[in-house]
Amino acid sequence: MTALGELQRLRASRGGPPRKRENKAAFLFLLPWFAGLLLITAGPIAVSLVLGFTDYNLIQPPEFNGLDNFNRMLSDERLHSALRVTFTYVLVSVPLQLACALGLALLLDRGLRGLSFYRSAFYLPSLLGSSVAIAVLWQQIFGAEGMVNQVLGLIGVQGRGWISDPSTALSTLIVLNVWTFGAPMVIFLAGLRQIPVMYYEAAAVDGANRWTQFRKITVPLLSPIIFFNLVLQVIHAFQSFTQAFVVSGGSGGPSDSTLFYTLYLYQRGFNNFDMGYASALAWLLLVIIAGFTAVNFWAAKRWVFYDD
Amino acid sequence: MRYTRRSALALAVLSTASAALAACGKDGGNANEELSKDPVTLRFTWWGADARHQRTQQVIDLFQKAHPTITVKGEFKDWNGYWDSLATTVAANDAPDLIQMDELYLASYAERGALLDLGTASKYLTTGDFDPNALATGVVKGKQYALPVGLAAYSVVVNTDLLAQYNIALPDDSKWTWDDLKNLGAQISKASGGKVTGVQSWGFDVGGVNIWARQAGASLYDDNGKVVVPPQALAAYWQYLADLAKDGIAPAPSVTIERASAGLDKSGTATNNSVFGTWWNTQLTSLTKASGKNLKLLKLPGDAQAASPGAYFKPSMFWSVSSRSKHPAEAALFVDFLANSQEAADILLTDRGVPANKKIRAGIAAKLTGTDKAAADYLDAIKVGKPPRVTPKGASNVEAILKRHTEDVLFGRATPQQAAEKFIAELQAEINAAA
Repeated sequence: MTALGELQRLRASRGGPPRKRENKAAFLFLLPWFAGLLLITAGPIAVSLVLGFTDYNLIQPPEFNGLDNFNRMLSDERLHSALRVTFTYVLVSVPLQLACALGLALLLDRGLRGLSFYRSAFYLPSLLGSSVAIAVLWQQIFGAEGMVNQVLGLIGVQGRGWISDPSTALSTLIVLNVWTFGAPMVIFLAGLRQIPVMYYEAAAVDGANRWTQFRKITVPLLSPIIFFNLVLQVIHAFQSFTQAFVVSGGSGGPSDSTLFYTLYLYQRGFNNFDMGYASALAWLLLVIIAGFTAVNFWAAKRWVFYDD
Repeated sequence: MRYTRRSALALAVLSTASAALAACGKDGGNANEELSKDPVTLRFTWWGADARHQRTQQVIDLFQKAHPTITVKGEFKDWNGYWDSLATTVAANDAPDLIQMDELYLASYAERGALLDLGTASKYLTTGDFDPNALATGVVKGKQYALPVGLAAYSVVVNTDLLAQYNIALPDDSKWTWDDLKNLGAQISKASGGKVTGVQSWGFDVGGVNIWARQAGASLYDDNGKVVVPPQALAAYWQYLADLAKDGIAPAPSVTIERASAGLDKSGTATNNSVFGTWWNTQLTSLTKASGKNLKLLKLPGDAQAASPGAYFKPSMFWSVSSRSKHPAEAALFVDFLANSQEAADILLTDRGVPANKKIRAGIAAKLTGTDKAAADYLDAIKVGKPPRVTPKGASNVEAILKRHTEDVLFGRATPQQAAEKFIAELQAEINAAA
């Protein structure tokens, strides 16, 4: 009887009202975030789904037009250019970026003096990479009279306007994306620190050289981290916008060579008063990204190794 | 996740827009009602450079002094950002009361009901002193949706200092041809060893295409807004530009593209890297300021020989009032001040073009000096034809399409003929989609 009373008293003091009060406070603190989620994210996403089935010119009320927007995608040549450009960008820049990130992480992991300085130095570009300022800087560096051409001029090579020539414009943006390898690098570094040193010691005793150690120990044990970075960077690359917008002055030029998907979407919506179609395009992008992510997860079963 | 955050802004605009549209289909007030006794705030948006912002603010201050109950708040941007932001504010039912409008966008906004018919504001806004031909450029579907501010005409700007440096005589612009321009350009490029090119390539503004089509006896659009320019005329235009680049008369394509995207201050004319360039006559002042050399306006090549003149008066811009303005009477009063007040004109001068208001134009004539005067004189000196039709609804983006096809031609990705056919098809598709 007394024990039961004690239990009740305990419950009353610990698990009962105080926790409820805590919950209430937590909800209160979360409220701004919830409101933001609903009003600024979820709500507009839902609205855009509806608008995807309308003809909406931003000024007059939208009109339903069934699947017209989606039919139009099939014969929209500029959309096809945009998809080509975006796929090239993702498929080239993400592997390069991850390779750089992993390479640098391996170097830094070997106990360099001043590690934290280098880590920050290499991480910095990812903080700035998608900013307007860096895109403007890129424009200057790769311009006809920019730094790249001045350096090339020193060794007697005739440069060109790298970002205003359709055969090189996309490459400069790929270089820009590769340069922002800092974020995946930091994650790789953390992952490398988790691999027990004894594995390497044991392998060395067995006569494995560095390359074999890398292939047989580092890669398998790091594979979940590689996978995580891959998924994240693919999604990130599909949504690139700022660089192309700034470098091409919003046009995706020259000759549509930097017409990223999101840039084309923006042009349709805000320059061509074609928000219905732009909304439909946004949903197509969502499906494409979901598709790529699904393929990534499916393929992961074959090469990602979980140590548990 | 970046996706959600980045698109959130655009989507937020959308959701507010649809909510606002649902809640408020109703137009603003009546433009002929009595002026409000209570304080009224008007929002006024324009694009332009620093000099324009300062001059406009001075005019606003003058107006506020005369009408103490009215406050005018200026919102100014550069050209590109301007149209993106106007589209979103109109969509969000938050359009500024007074809108500086361009010929490219006039029909797109007016035909969709975003602008006030200024004819209904006759109580406060008079247009009697305007050149009727100029006034007609602001009419869409029979209604005066916009009031032309100033006039401009297409011209060739020549750097006379560079001409003298290379010992080349100024061409006689009363009878010169496009071939003359090409030959002169070649001489200059040769004399400079390619450091300075004879001609600055164009192919990025619709003015150049209009001129070319008109000299061939055609036009870009017919009166119904259908694209009717013959592909051969456009192909000849792009062939000319391709030849200029190939022969080194104009800079290499990538340099041309870079300068064209960088704006007036970094153009070949402004940086003294090209001797001849096509410009609107009103840009002479800014160009001269940037280049620091003597620049002169020349009449268009080929116009003397053409069946009908290529030259025409383009309204440099318009004043318009949002159809959802809560204070259309006060807005009309302010437009009247901008358009008809000599006091305001004395400040603005030719910054927005040579005034379309004939009385005002005469009134400021004596105050103009140097390049401002040269620009005004140019308008009197040239022979012009009937102006082209206002850009049809849906074709506001014509310059982006034009630029892309010029790039295709310059980089050899399309022949002039292919570019011409694709340009026409694409432009027509945009107009059809907006219908």
